[in-house]
Formats: sequence, structure tokens, C-alpha cells
Amino acid sequence: MANNLLAGKRGIISGALDEQSIAWKVAERCVEEGAQIVLTNAPVAMRFGKINELAEKLNAEIIPADATSMEDLENLVTKSQEHLGGKLDFVLHSIGMSVNVRKGRDYTDLKHDWMMKTFDVSAISFHKMMQVLWQKDAMNDWGSVLALTYIAAQRTFPDYSEMAESKALLESFARSFGYHFGTRNKVRVNTISQSPTMTTAGQGVKGFGEFFNYADKMSPLGNAPAESCADYCIQLFSDLSRYVTMQNLFHDGGFSNMGMNPALLEG
Amino acid sequence: MSNIAEKVKAIIVDKLGVDESEIALESSFTNDLGADSLDTVELIMEFEKTFDISIPDEQAENITTVGEAVSYLESQVKE
Ligand SMILES: NC(=O)c1ccc[n+]([C@@H]2O[C@H](COP(=O)([O-])OP(=O)(O)OC[C@H]3O[C@@H](n4cnc5c(N)ncnc54)[C@H](O)[C@@H]3O)[C@@H](O)[C@H]2O)c1
Repeated sequence: MANNLLAGKRGIISGALDEQSIAWKVAERCVEEGAQIVLTNAPVAMRFGKINELAEKLNAEIIPADATSMEDLENLVTKSQEHLGGKLDFVLHSIGMSVNVRKGRDYTDLKHDWMMKTFDVSAISFHKMMQVLWQKDAMNDWGSVLALTYIAAQRTFPDYSEMAESKALLESFARSFGYHFGTRNKVRVNTISQSPTMTTAGQGVKGFGEFFNYADKMSPLGNAPAESCADYCIQLFSDLSRYVTMQNLFHDGGFSNMGMNPALLEG
Repeated sequence: MSNIAEKVKAIIVDKLGVDESEIALESSFTNDLGADSLDTVELIMEFEKTFDISIPDEQAENITTVGEAVSYLESQVKE
């Protein structure tokens, strides 16, 4: 369903690892809607994932960048503008990783140097990205910057561990930077709080399968699929959401406002 | 222990967060040292960076234990 909502727009999409990645779907939808994009991911993802396949399919350039490295991000933003031929209209931050979660450590026994790495990769990278965009004056007026988050920032989901604090930090960066970007460039900054989704990052969380089913039953519309999340990203990149900024937007089939759903008792 | 083996150990301690005493030449990255699939790729890339070589994917697939890493690197790196 293409409506040319992003015709003539240029953007950067981070975080596409394989076809399950939310960013993968967003990249596909952006191109469908007429945008020109650059793909980026950590150097390790070039070897681990399938981003090359996506780049070929979409005829898009890949510019590798470790999102924790200012030097990499500066290179990314400069090269992207050169490659796309002008300033940027949209940027997606779709990056998350926790070493403590990957290693299955209990929340009451976390390694704090790993925690710092988690915060750096999953949240501070968003500030770094925006700071580079800001300092290079790389965003067009009325541009849109988005990051993906999860409701564990507001409520307790024990197995989400330190990613909860990462997401709280990420959402706060969106509000604070949204002020600056809005004032100077009319650029909006938002986070989308997405349902549990079967991806590499998602499945890294302990008991994810059961939790996915629980959230699916709790939500009147069921869990929001990655494809619909991509549609929502398109709307927020498009000119049809110009005055939405500094928000955390739930894209979760209603989960966040449910107290209890009788469907859960029906077995 | 060779210089290369010492460096390999140090990389493993850093990347996988294991204690040096847990690392033996027979240790498997995934079965004994708790590496996930992303860790194994990161280890290979760290070896490449440290020893300034490039390890083709087909070779990387055969490096599953500490000893295999050390002997592969010893065959490729001139000290
Ligand atoms: N899957 C879910 O259930 C879910 C729910 C809500 C929000 N999210 C969020 O959506 C975003 C995308 O995750 P996903 O579920 O599509 O999983 P994914 O594993 O496909 O994507 C995570 C991406 O982060 C990248 N990354 C990790 N370290 C990096 C670094 N140092 N520099 C640059 N990139 C790096 C990975 O290479 C990968 O492409 C994450 O922020 C995640 O927290 C996921």
C-alpha cells in the first residue's frame, strides 16, 4: 500500500539485522513510500546478519557505524548527506543490546561495567546520534527523529532487566532533545513503544515466548506486528504528523491501558 | 604459553567476562565459556583487529575452542 508519503525525503535507518528486525520492515516501507535511505548497523552486524541482502534489494547504501562511537556517527551523517544529496528528513534509532540479558544474569547480580555498555549502546547512542545531527546541522526543517522503546520503561517486567532503565533513559533523551530540535529546526523527536516482537533482540529476553503470548492475549487488538510498527514509523516520518513531538507513543494493540483481560483466564 | 595464547586469553576475558582460570585450550566458546552467536563473531573480529589479519568466514566457522583459535592464529601471524 504505497501512498508516496515520503516522496523526495531522505533518511537514515539503523538496526536492520535480518528480515525479522523491525528496522528491516521500516526500511522496506520507506522505500515503498518514495524515500531515499541509507542503512547503518554495527560493523559486527555486517558479518552476523543479512543487511547486505536488504541493501541490494532496496538499492541502498550501507554505512557501518558503531552507534557508541562519535567518530563513526560523524562519518555516518556526513557520508549519508553526500550520498543522498542533501540534508536529512528522518532518522530511525532501532538499536538495543544488553550483555547482562544475553548472559542471563539475575537482576540482583548484574555486572555494572556491562550495564554501562548496555546504556551506551541502547540509550546514550540516541543522544550521540542526535548531537551529531545537531552539530552538523544535518536535519531539514520539519524533519522527524524516532527511536523504538518498550513499556518496561514505565512498568516492571522482571525479565527485561536493565533494558528497563535503558528505555527510561532513551525516552527521556527524546523529550529533552525534542525541545532543542523543535525550537531550532522544527524537527520532532518521538519514541514508539512497541509490542513484544519476535526478533533477535526480543528473543534474547528470558521466557520471551510465553510473555509474547501473554501480551497478545492481554491486548484487545493483539500484539502489534513489526509491519504495522513500520507503518506507524512512516506516518511519523511523513508530513501528516508535523506537530507530534516529545512523545512516547504506544503502538501495542491497547496493552498499556489494560488492567485485566478475561481472555487470560480462559486458558 | 605463547605470546599469542596470552593475547587470546586476554581478549576472551574482556569479551566474555569469564575468569582467566576458567579458560583452557580445550574450552569451547559456546559450551564452556557462555558465548552466544553474536559473541563468537565479535571474538573473531577482535582477533582480526589485534593481530591485524583477516579471517575468512569459512575459516572462522572452524574456530570453536580456545585451542583452535590459538593454533589458527599461530599459523597466520608472524611474531
Ligand atoms: N523485539 C521486541 O520485542 C521489541 C519491543 C519493543 C521495542 N523494541 C526495540 O526495537 C529496537 C530494534 O530491535 P529489534 O527487536 O528489531 O531487534 P534486532 O536485534 O533486529 O535489532 C537490534 C539492532 O541493534 C543493533 N546494534 C547492536 N549494537 C549496536 C551498536 N553498538 N551500534 C549500532 N547498532 C547496534 C543490532 O545490530 C541490531 O541490528 C530496539 O531498540 C529494541 O529494544 C523491540
